[in-house]
Amino acid sequence: MPLKIRLKCSAVLLVSVLFFSGSFHKLNAQAEAVPADADVIAAGEKLFRQNCAACHRIQEKLIGPGLANVYDRRDIAWIQAFVKNSQKVIQSGDPYAVDMFEEYNQIVMPPVDFSDEEILSILAYIKDQTDKLPQAAVTIEEAVDTGAAAEQGLFTGYMNYILAGLIITLILMIVVLVMISSVMQKFLRTRSDLDEADREIIAQRFNLLALLQSRAFIGIVAFVFTAIAFKTVIDQLYEIGVQQGYAPEQPIAFSHKVHAGQYEIDCNYCHTGVMKSKNANIPSPNICMNCHSSITEGVNTGTKEISKIYAAIEENRPIEWVRVHNLPDFAYFNHSQHVNVGKVECATCHGPVEEMEVVRQYSLLTMGWCVDCHRTTKVNTKDNAYYDKLVEFHNSPELMTVESIGGLECAKCHY
Amino acid sequence: MLKNNFSFSGVILLAGFIAGGCAGAGGNDQGTEYAPNMYHSVAYEPLIQITDESAGMWVNSSENPDVGEYYSSNPNNPYGMNMREPVTNTVRRGDFIPYRIPKDSFALAERILRNPLDSTASVVNSGKELFLKFCSQCHGTDGQTPGKVGERFAGVVSYTSAAVINKGEGHLFHVITYGKGRMGPHASQLSVKERWEIVRYVQVLQQQ
Repeated sequence: MPLKIRLKCSAVLLVSVLFFSGSFHKLNAQAEAVPADADVIAAGEKLFRQNCAACHRIQEKLIGPGLANVYDRRDIAWIQAFVKNSQKVIQSGDPYAVDMFEEYNQIVMPPVDFSDEEILSILAYIKDQTDKLPQAAVTIEEAVDTGAAAEQGLFTGYMNYILAGLIITLILMIVVLVMISSVMQKFLRTRSDLDEADREIIAQRFNLLALLQSRAFIGIVAFVFTAIAFKTVIDQLYEIGVQQGYAPEQPIAFSHKVHAGQYEIDCNYCHTGVMKSKNANIPSPNICMNCHSSITEGVNTGTKEISKIYAAIEENRPIEWVRVHNLPDFAYFNHSQHVNVGKVECATCHGPVEEMEVVRQYSLLTMGWCVDCHRTTKVNTKDNAYYDKLVEFHNSPELMTVESIGGLECAKCHY
Repeated sequence: MLKNNFSFSGVILLAGFIAGGCAGAGGNDQGTEYAPNMYHSVAYEPLIQITDESAGMWVNSSENPDVGEYYSSNPNNPYGMNMREPVTNTVRRGDFIPYRIPKDSFALAERILRNPLDSTASVVNSGKELFLKFCSQCHGTDGQTPGKVGERFAGVVSYTSAAVINKGEGHLFHVITYGKGRMGPHASQLSVKERWEIVRYVQVLQQQ
């Protein structure tokens, strides 16, 4: 195997370098001991992605230090020992290892059972990345910048031209019309062969007062006015008892758009009751802390809102979220029945929550709205032994709606 | 006749303004309720808390004249909460026996815990469903490349990394229950059965 031979060669080379140079040798020379073959680098890349990338980047600090030039900072034997069992190195009292352990909040780097060659190949990948890192970063940035600017400029430019053109055309048309009308009037006044009626038309002036007092005008205005007022009253009466659009301000400006939209966190992750109980439940801060233990700065509000979670935990005080969806006390609703058994999607009733900064009530939540859905929705009987007999008795199970199994009976929801 | 016409539409307009003023929810306004006495629960509702004692005084039908109809807060609980924690040392009916392995005893958990669920298709399927809901945002859908949250959170271990690929099922269960390193505990979100189902699916992902 050529790869293995090469790895062995480099290991031998490394050992000899270490041997001859002694501990006073400049560490920079070690960079040469790191293999530079494409095969080795590729093997190292694979290992790095699977085992190291979770906590280490090439340049920036993450959970652990950035690894660029690590072969210049420590000698390779030290790196190999640390990767194989970091705790052993720390407990041996090595000052560099102890300092680093303290600096990175005493997070233990788990021991990995790598061979020396494998660690060398990872170093080869790190060296490869270190060497080409700065140029790559710059070129990517530039490309993105110019692309975005060009696209934006093109769009707004066109819109402005079109708008300006339209306005100029309209003004020109008005000017031309006024000119034509005055020229015609002048011309007709000079004519002497017109009879009395025609002369009157030419001399006519627009009389606003007469128009406003005319019976027809008042009739039309009164009718339109009454019709609009009537419709408004009816519409408003229909809104009584309906809280669609209710979007209360919450004690913490939690954004579903960021959590459910941008980060694609499933609804069920926080609303843990949705599959198991009547209520979907509002998560308690321990669930927030699964992520916010380390994410301390928000996308929209920085540390301002997230620090409220920490304050609540510190004081052992509940966060007083405002309930958005309030069903009347006389109506029973159960989430697990709909989401777990019926497999209704959350968005069917709650709408595009992943686009809402502040959650609002999306659906009507009126009885008519419930009943409509129960009339049209087919019962989900798949993989549900409870319905097996029922499906057997129904000749056409695809016609089995919620209504047909009693979903419209009063006492299903009112008792 | 004209005058009548005007006063008629005036009345309608006024009614419209009145109706418009009280109906319609939006922002912090809940809108007008019809028959509010029937809307508000007399019993304590765990997810509702109205601490203002005068709320709904104008429709008060209760025996206590000092407290309004909408007031809903249990003075016996801390912070007047309506929600209560389960009584200490009680176990939910039908659940597994309490889990007593200490938080940092990963090796002990790995040694003594065995998955009570067989690796059947239905167990793996529900494990997958739960995995996609509760794990994939950090660990990625394949358990190797971090998901959207994992990228930001950082330090998310790949299931196939040398550090964890050979860990036993007890270790996986213990990690889900208590968390490990930067990962938080998920016992409050997942029942014992659900955690064992996820363990089955994680093992499937590790074999890929």
